[in-house]
Amino acid sequence: MPLEPFKASAALTMGVELELQLVNPTDFDLSDSANDMLHLLGRKPFPGDVKPEMTQSMIEVSTDVQLRYDELLAQLRRIRNALLEAGDRLNIAICGGGTHPFQRWFHQRIFEKPRFQHLSTLYGYLAKQFTVFGQHVHIGCASSDDALVLLHGLNRYLPQFIALSASSPYSQGVDTLFDSARLNSVFAFPLSGRAPFILDWSEFESEYFAKMEKTGVVTSMKDFYWDIRPKPEYGTIELRVCDTPLNVERAAALACYLQALCRMLLARREPLPVEDDYLVYNYNRFQACRFGLDGVIVHPRTAEAMSLREDILATLRRIELDADVLRSRAALDEIRRIVGEGNDASFLRRECEDEGSVQGVVEAAVRRFRERSSE
Amino acid sequence: MRRASPSMMPNIAEPVLRDIAWPLALAIAWIAGELGHRWLRLPRICSYGIVGFALAASQGGLLAAPAAKPIALLADVAFGLILFELGYRINLGWLRTNPWLGVTSLVEAGATFVAVFLVSRWFGMSLVPSLLLSAIAMSTSPAAVVRVANELRCSGQVTERTLHLSAFNSVLAVVVFKFVVGYWVLAGSGGAFQAIWSSIVVLVVSAGLGALFGVAVPGLLRMLGGLERNATVVFALAVLLLTAVTYAFRFSPLLAALAFGLVARHRRLVLSQAQRNFGALGDLLTLLLFVFVTATLDWRQVVAGFPMAMAVIGARMATKVAGTVLFARSSGISWRKGLYTGMALMPLSVFAILLLEQTRHLGLALMDDVAALAGIVLVLEILGPLVTHWALVWAGEAPRKGER
Repeated sequence: MPLEPFKASAALTMGVELELQLVNPTDFDLSDSANDMLHLLGRKPFPGDVKPEMTQSMIEVSTDVQLRYDELLAQLRRIRNALLEAGDRLNIAICGGGTHPFQRWFHQRIFEKPRFQHLSTLYGYLAKQFTVFGQHVHIGCASSDDALVLLHGLNRYLPQFIALSASSPYSQGVDTLFDSARLNSVFAFPLSGRAPFILDWSEFESEYFAKMEKTGVVTSMKDFYWDIRPKPEYGTIELRVCDTPLNVERAAALACYLQALCRMLLARREPLPVEDDYLVYNYNRFQACRFGLDGVIVHPRTAEAMSLREDILATLRRIELDADVLRSRAALDEIRRIVGEGNDASFLRRECEDEGSVQGVVEAAVRRFRERSSE
Repeated sequence: MRRASPSMMPNIAEPVLRDIAWPLALAIAWIAGELGHRWLRLPRICSYGIVGFALAASQGGLLAAPAAKPIALLADVAFGLILFELGYRINLGWLRTNPWLGVTSLVEAGATFVAVFLVSRWFGMSLVPSLLLSAIAMSTSPAAVVRVANELRCSGQVTERTLHLSAFNSVLAVVVFKFVVGYWVLAGSGGAFQAIWSSIVVLVVSAGLGALFGVAVPGLLRMLGGLERNATVVFALAVLLLTAVTYAFRFSPLLAALAFGLVARHRRLVLSQAQRNFGALGDLLTLLLFVFVTATLDWRQVVAGFPMAMAVIGARMATKVAGTVLFARSSGISWRKGLYTGMALMPLSVFAILLLEQTRHLGLALMDDVAALAGIVLVLEILGPLVTHWALVWAGEAPRKGER
């Protein structure tokens, strides 16, 4: 199957996908309840889209194509409310967070769908270990070349998104000392990492994808688990490094931060990306995963070391005008708040200290997802 | 000369045999459980029941006088642990967020009560035994459903609902049962005081004691610290103490343990995964519990009441399934899952026997009055867990083979 043609879409439109955890409210372990949730949700029109994910304890929701922050946030809240209502009727708790703190990966059950069963056979324990939960943000691109410019232009900002969204400090019952342990699970896949450095779509198609397809290793873009990947059938690029935040407010803010950043990159207010930008890519990515906002990254051009916190604040100042045009100032305020108060990973660590157990961590995450105080 | 006589042999052997009878029976039951599980995929507790019945004294086996105190008390402790765990898994808030669940529970239990009452009257049973039998029939044995669900490592709506409905209908059964006992005392020899004592006071004090433990024990644990390490032992000890106290004062250990679990849960003290079933201690006591239950049965009683037993089982199954199917859609699940929930509610035995054990002191010998009961207990002890097992598997809530 050759690569689908890139279907242009309205520039800077957004779509958000959230992978969420289904949790048993008694012991706070993951609950294999995707079937039951989907059955109940299927009875009424859902304010967005809802799909099964790899294992029975995950569910994926997504928004429509949105342009404005307030509308995106409103839809995410409607989605959250619909999920909570269904969960209440079925005694299933729902929460965000990039990992479940103490689930045992070998207990997870693969959702009965041919694609998932196939992946499970192919990847073995990796597939079950992939019981991790991410937020994916799509940004619409007017052309395929825009898509590649954005995809590579964003490489330098990627650690920011990891640090801001990080909500997976615990895995398999222990503190990993990472802020985002989830990305370590993603890294185990052979086709993870970054896209090859090609800025021209026809070259990407003929020189890279066609060759890869001929090897038989891949059949579609879906087989790549890159940090950012183009999605030709939607006409978007998809940022995949974010952990699912603990509430939808944060999810909306992250999406709009990305949107504003893309607007700046499309306006070419930044030099075009070059292949050498990727020299520091894995190092910076590690810093963000491990230390979150306290990470120290290296600027790919100036080789200057800087704290992620400072880097985000500086970026926020540079894209204020873009946010004004996009009417997403409030989203940037939320990002600033994360920088000030700490990301979700630090919230969960505080809760663990207070509650004294990893179960208490999940309980706190469940509470966080439910909170409607800011409405 | 007598000393040399061979006729002395049984007299020496008998006490020795009596001492080793229970451990030996448990060992046999355990082996049978493992083999049955491996070869026939039988839930282990089915095999325990079969072995218990086969080895019972009335069948000429080696288990003499199973109602003897220490064993009965141990069985109560075993059941107390299971009830505590069940209570712990019950989310009372669910009744608020999904009122149809409460409706389901009341309807399935109420309909079972009425149907079984009609059947037993039709078979010519007198009023009080009919009422008591109907009360018992309302309940689903929490021991069987908890064990089967844990053995299969199930999760999903059928599992959750079966556990919740089992807890609810067990409470309903105890309440109705105690009220009938109160009525019986009042109508019979006893005065009003004894009637109230054996119904309302027993209910309130048992639940109150359980609730007290539910507040005190988590508090104690928090004070002592080291939650992860100590929780299992402390809770097991607390259940042991609670059972012994309620047993000694003739309150209801069942209600107390359930209330203990419920309150402990809502005090938000989280038990970790490792403590499911109370580990090896729980396994051992469960083994004893299920052997004990069928060892109380006499095959002559089973045979005598068999037709009526089958009628009661049929009526009970029909009303339970009807209740869960009727409200399946409105409570948020498919008809199919409603059907499986009703099926999974089939087990009965353990709860019934222990409930009866506690009224023995009042001179209520229901086992002898209601010939059908032995048959019901035996059939449901062996078939009940099997039906629950398959209902959960068919509902798709157990990991498939190779996924474990």
